Amino acid sequence: MFERRLYANIDGKLLSAVVALSLIGLVMIFSTTYDAATEQVGSQFYRQLGALLIGLVALAASLTIDYRTIVNRSLLIYGGLAACLLYTLWFGVEQGGAKRWIGLGVVNFQPSEFARLVVALVLAFIFAKDHRGSRRSSDWLIGIVIVGLPVFLIARQPDLGTAAILLPVCIVIMLFAGLKLRVLAVLSVVAILAAPVVWAYGMEDYQKTRIASFLDPEQDPRGAGYQQIQARITVGSGGLTGRGFLQGTQSQYDFLPVAHNDFIFSVLAEEHGFIGVLFTLGLYLFVVLRSLEAARLSKDRMGQYLVAGVLAGFTFQVIYNVTMSAGLAPVKGLPLPLMSYGGSSVIATLLGFGLILNVRMRRFTN
Amino acid sequence: MYIKVPVQEGRHGKSLIALFQGAVVLVFVILLGAFWHFQVGQHTKFLQMAENNHQRRLSLRAPRGVVFDRHDRVLVENRHSLNISLVRERVADLSQTLARLSEVVAVSESELRRVLERQQDEPLYRPVVLVPDATLSQVSAVSARSLELPGVVVEQSPARYYPTEHLAAHSFGYVGEVTGAQLSLEAFDDMQSGDIVGQAGLEQIYNQLLMGVDGSRHVVVNSQGREIETIGEVKPLEGSSLKLTIDYDLQRAAEDAFRLAGFDGAAVVLDPQNGEVLSLVSLPAYDPNAFATGINRDDWSRLNNNQLNPLQNRALRGRYSPGSIFKIAMAVAALEEGVIEPDFKVACRGGGTFYGRFFRCHTTHGTVTLDEALEKSCNTYFYTLGEKLDVDQIHKWSTALGLGQISGIDLPHEVQGLVPSRAWKQKEVGERWYPGETISVSIGQGQVSVTPISLAVMMATVANEGRRVVPRLLHSYNNGSGWKLVESNEDPSHVELAPTTLDAVKRGLWMVVNQEGTGRRGRITGRDVIGKTGTSQVISLSGREAAEGSTRDLRDHGWFVFAAPRENPKIAGVVFGEHAEHGYLTAPIARHVVETFFAKREGRDLPMLPMPSKVPSVSPVLTNIGGGE
Repeated sequence: MFERRLYANIDGKLLSAVVALSLIGLVMIFSTTYDAATEQVGSQFYRQLGALLIGLVALAASLTIDYRTIVNRSLLIYGGLAACLLYTLWFGVEQGGAKRWIGLGVVNFQPSEFARLVVALVLAFIFAKDHRGSRRSSDWLIGIVIVGLPVFLIARQPDLGTAAILLPVCIVIMLFAGLKLRVLAVLSVVAILAAPVVWAYGMEDYQKTRIASFLDPEQDPRGAGYQQIQARITVGSGGLTGRGFLQGTQSQYDFLPVAHNDFIFSVLAEEHGFIGVLFTLGLYLFVVLRSLEAARLSKDRMGQYLVAGVLAGFTFQVIYNVTMSAGLAPVKGLPLPLMSYGGSSVIATLLGFGLILNVRMRRFTN
Repeated sequence: MYIKVPVQEGRHGKSLIALFQGAVVLVFVILLGAFWHFQVGQHTKFLQMAENNHQRRLSLRAPRGVVFDRHDRVLVENRHSLNISLVRERVADLSQTLARLSEVVAVSESELRRVLERQQDEPLYRPVVLVPDATLSQVSAVSARSLELPGVVVEQSPARYYPTEHLAAHSFGYVGEVTGAQLSLEAFDDMQSGDIVGQAGLEQIYNQLLMGVDGSRHVVVNSQGREIETIGEVKPLEGSSLKLTIDYDLQRAAEDAFRLAGFDGAAVVLDPQNGEVLSLVSLPAYDPNAFATGINRDDWSRLNNNQLNPLQNRALRGRYSPGSIFKIAMAVAALEEGVIEPDFKVACRGGGTFYGRFFRCHTTHGTVTLDEALEKSCNTYFYTLGEKLDVDQIHKWSTALGLGQISGIDLPHEVQGLVPSRAWKQKEVGERWYPGETISVSIGQGQVSVTPISLAVMMATVANEGRRVVPRLLHSYNNGSGWKLVESNEDPSHVELAPTTLDAVKRGLWMVVNQEGTGRRGRITGRDVIGKTGTSQVISLSGREAAEGSTRDLRDHGWFVFAAPRENPKIAGVVFGEHAEHGYLTAPIARHVVETFFAKREGRDLPMLPMPSKVPSVSPVLTNIGGGE
């Protein structure tokens, strides 16, 4: 099944950029978890390193299977995901008031991180197959239901950030599948108009607090706005060239919460400055543009939709996390793909790039 | 229901991809712009905020300078005190912490809250002292429960310590937290609330020398406020040491002698050659240790409302009529103005009639000369001088001798006495001076009032042939680069007195102590002590009848001024016995001081007093109405 000449078509540049970002993330995790007193690095570093190796192996293994085969099995995979999410809701490991993990002894597995891949697979399957001239409205409905179930299950954990990531995945694939931009625009307007209603009736107090503190972080500097102010201080104090590896006072003295996770990019900005930010964002941009290239080159719609969906989730999350890292967006527990600490996130992201590489390398095969 | 949707052409996908490319590039450029804005545009501001986040400057209090007596005996020093403080930024629930702390240290919660509120404006990271000078049991209780008391820390800080307790308390004064009113003054510019400054006595007047410079410790803290490391430390600079002119043994001798005599009062003992104060007493005294770490309100009001006024330095701030001591000034004035010669005689018949009114003497002295009049303290003689002198002449010579003047001693809040003059009466009373009033003035009564220290200056001036010195307590100071002598900023002035005047007056004063005079209890064989007693009426005879049944202490005050030896004196001073009734009862105090002085000077054992085991220095609680205050 695996042909030697396929290897020649693996996008080495994209893969290199992805691995480079993962390594940058690893270095930043080293920095944030290093304990100067004991001269030891935290266990998170080794866990992340392990996840990275597993992810790369999984990526390599996934390349041996034609993406069309995977897409065609996507309903099965979707069923597995739904089962995992349900299991998580009932029997999941609870941390910080949220049930997001399935305990696997020494490690925890977070199924929601894989949801965007599975949703992209299923939507690619639905919209690419049996395509005869026009879309029925039932197609859109089915798509919405397909996305709606995991969104609901993940939002119940609760994990609004991860649930929300599924929306761009869905919207982008639908755009490729023929949804008109005009319709999307109208829907957006409706959503904006509905926002006050949602604010009044649909939101919990803690969610309102978060949004309020985002709009005016100084109002409550020890509370919800604290992280945002600290993020800005962290980024701003980095300057042009940064304060140096292990020298960032904001991250080293714990002023920045969950530095190795959600705020890893702030740490990078602090220790490596604007130069580091420029380099890393450049790599991310390269990864996105190079992946879009894979979508453009895809020989079939299925591949194009798949790449677009996977990439949409990735891009949206990168942009959101980087914006948040600069204190410019409300704090949401959304990790930075490839760089943030989190085994499930790393493995799922690498698998996603496996799919993108898969589509590109098979553009000449039948 | 079917909605017709056009089939996607390959071109459509390509244009979408182009759209996404453009959008992503745009967003990334905007993000980079934002990072540039924060990291380059506002770098300085955020760097400062980051520094403020994790760096703290904690001040290290400088110990105040040590104070020595003239023979290097430590009189005031510092001890380590432990403060229980609160770092508010580490406290999650203030009320709970205060309630818990209140139980642990047995201080009422409202008191803790009051102390905290006073320091409300301090930065949250700075420890605010809640229990100053905590006891060891409080400290160990807090240490044992440190887990239940997050943010509560025990700090060490130097506190003032007066090992001799009440001794010479009024000279040292006391320290206290700088007040809000003081902070607004220029001299207190570089201080902050909570700083300890001198609030009375030498502690106040030499505060700048004694204060030293606080140091600081520059530390790195983490987000919980825990110290990670010290990155810099500026050691506190101890204040300058002071060497006083006070001689501990003379101070002790004077206070012991008062205790044995059983009354309160004041004493000033000088070196008449240079004005060095060898001993300065004011009784009753207070214990300045009570102020060292902030006096509590109860102790303060006890001291402040005490009818005996222990906080008042009587030697500088008590104004009393000099009584017969004033006869020295009268004698000088009469001789210098030439209204009499030293051999001028007056016949005392138990008093005399002046300006149509009879003025009494204590007894019938017969015919007396000036020296005999001083020796016996004959009023009639001095009434006669009062008749011959104008009040302005008396005023002139008293003033020259330092009466009614500020002595200029290096202690705060000295008050001025009063020797009346025509100008004074015109200005203050609005009436002309009646010659009859001069008669009362001539025996140191009427409006005449003096401070003990001004009498000491007068006595030293007369004993020292007219050389008038400015008393001072500070001998030298050492800011770490060796002892520097303090140059007296006022040179001794010289009162031109004719040798015949000095000879006559000093002979009279010698006879007071060494012959049949009123000061015989001050006599020391071979020391040629000269002196003069005086009695200061607390209330007139008619007033005494009117005050019948009053609880106020109406007994007269006693005075004794002295110098020794008669020629080239080494020691001079005054003893004021509050309600001592007779001047001669205060003479033994002077004698003990003078004996101690010479014994020490000649290296002999110091004389011992037959001291009762422990006599309280506080007499019955009665109002002192003799003072001019």
